[in-house]
Amino acid sequence: MSNLQLEYDAALEAYVQRGGESALKQAYELGRRALGEGLGVLDMVAMHHRTLDKLMNENPQAVLVHRSGEFLAESMSPFEMTHRAYGEANATLRRLNDSLEGQTRKLANTLHDESGQLLSAVHIQLQEIAKGFSPAERAKLDSVRQLLDQIEQQLRQFSHDLRPTVLDDYGLVPAIQWLAGRFSKRMGIPVTVDAQSVTRLPATTEAALYRIAQEALNNAARHAKAARVQIRLKQLPGELHCSIRDDGVGFDVSSISSKRTKGLGLLGIQDRLSGLGAKFQIRSAAHEGTELSIIVPLEE
Amino acid sequence: MDAEYNQIGASTELAQPSSDRRYRVFEEARITIETDTDIVVARQRGRELATRLGFSSSDLTLTATAISELARNIVQYAKRGEVTLRLIERNGREGIAVEARDQGPGIADIRRVLEGGYSTSRSLGLGLSGVKRLMDEFEIESKVGQGTKVVARKWRK
Repeated sequence: MSNLQLEYDAALEAYVQRGGESALKQAYELGRRALGEGLGVLDMVAMHHRTLDKLMNENPQAVLVHRSGEFLAESMSPFEMTHRAYGEANATLRRLNDSLEGQTRKLANTLHDESGQLLSAVHIQLQEIAKGFSPAERAKLDSVRQLLDQIEQQLRQFSHDLRPTVLDDYGLVPAIQWLAGRFSKRMGIPVTVDAQSVTRLPATTEAALYRIAQEALNNAARHAKAARVQIRLKQLPGELHCSIRDDGVGFDVSSISSKRTKGLGLLGIQDRLSGLGAKFQIRSAAHEGTELSIIVPLEE
Repeated sequence: MDAEYNQIGASTELAQPSSDRRYRVFEEARITIETDTDIVVARQRGRELATRLGFSSSDLTLTATAISELARNIVQYAKRGEVTLRLIERNGREGIAVEARDQGPGIADIRRVLEGGYSTSRSLGLGLSGVKRLMDEFEIESKVGQGTKVVARKWRK
């Protein structure tokens, strides 16, 4: 017999005898664990009724309880199907995000490495050509080379925006610090990053949180007109907490919860997070800034 | 059914060499499906057979649900058809195969039906897509105007 069943037996028996919120909390925890172990709706119903069968023992109502358990299981069966459909959709979403992230990384590398090399080759050849030039012609060529330098810089910036190498090489916190630094310089909005005991995380999680921070910073500058932004990351056993807060104009959260008006950016955040099984909350009100809170489950 | 039929099976299933796909049938029951009463009979036979294999109570329920969904489809769309239940053995493993067959209107876009829950707002992920999720193996062949054959198998854990 599984551990979970034994614990369920004990917890339900304790609750039947004494009641109390702490037993109910344990019921919730057992349900969470069951979900984590891949049990479905019907497995939970079956577990509950195995316990009831034991508790009923010689009770004359035992048949009633047993039969009602069987009846309940059948009526819950359609919910099992939708429960499984949800799991499947989540897995699909995760795969989609992974492949999108992979393509982005490839594109960023191509831009950075291959285009960079081509431009270097152009520079060298121009230098060769310039050898036979008059000073006046050389001056013209110099302005062409300056334009090439600008292109190179733009390509590099574009590549970093797509996928910063620091994310793959050093992880989430250095990448977010780098992002915050660049954002502050570009937009003139100070960003503080406060990270506590964050280790390297699965690539999908790191990429998702990085993208979300990117999106939130863009929102803070574009819509919220914020004067400062604070990013907090904190790793606990089995969970990563992330909050991004600005002091901008804020907005009425209820006005964007209908699907139709929800901005694309926010939807993107939600899609990424549901792929990770994360919880996500926005707190905001007019003139009170906006806070995005995220809790991502981590495998222990 | 001939090769012209639209055919979609679990991809692992299709990738396997044919010898692995063979299984031994050691019990068979055929039920004509036309009314709700027939669905009840099919469910009951299925439950009896799967009980004999020692299926867990959850798996018994899932098997009965799959039979219900497949038989419902027959009643609803084809009006008439049959469900064949087989106890099977493959590589030392025992299981139940539920085959639903009809000469009804057939399904034009199988992929769309199997994506149920995403592509149509009416669907809740039940029906054929639900059966596919509840059972271990799922195969479907259908041709518009000629009928549909679905086989879903579940193995004892």
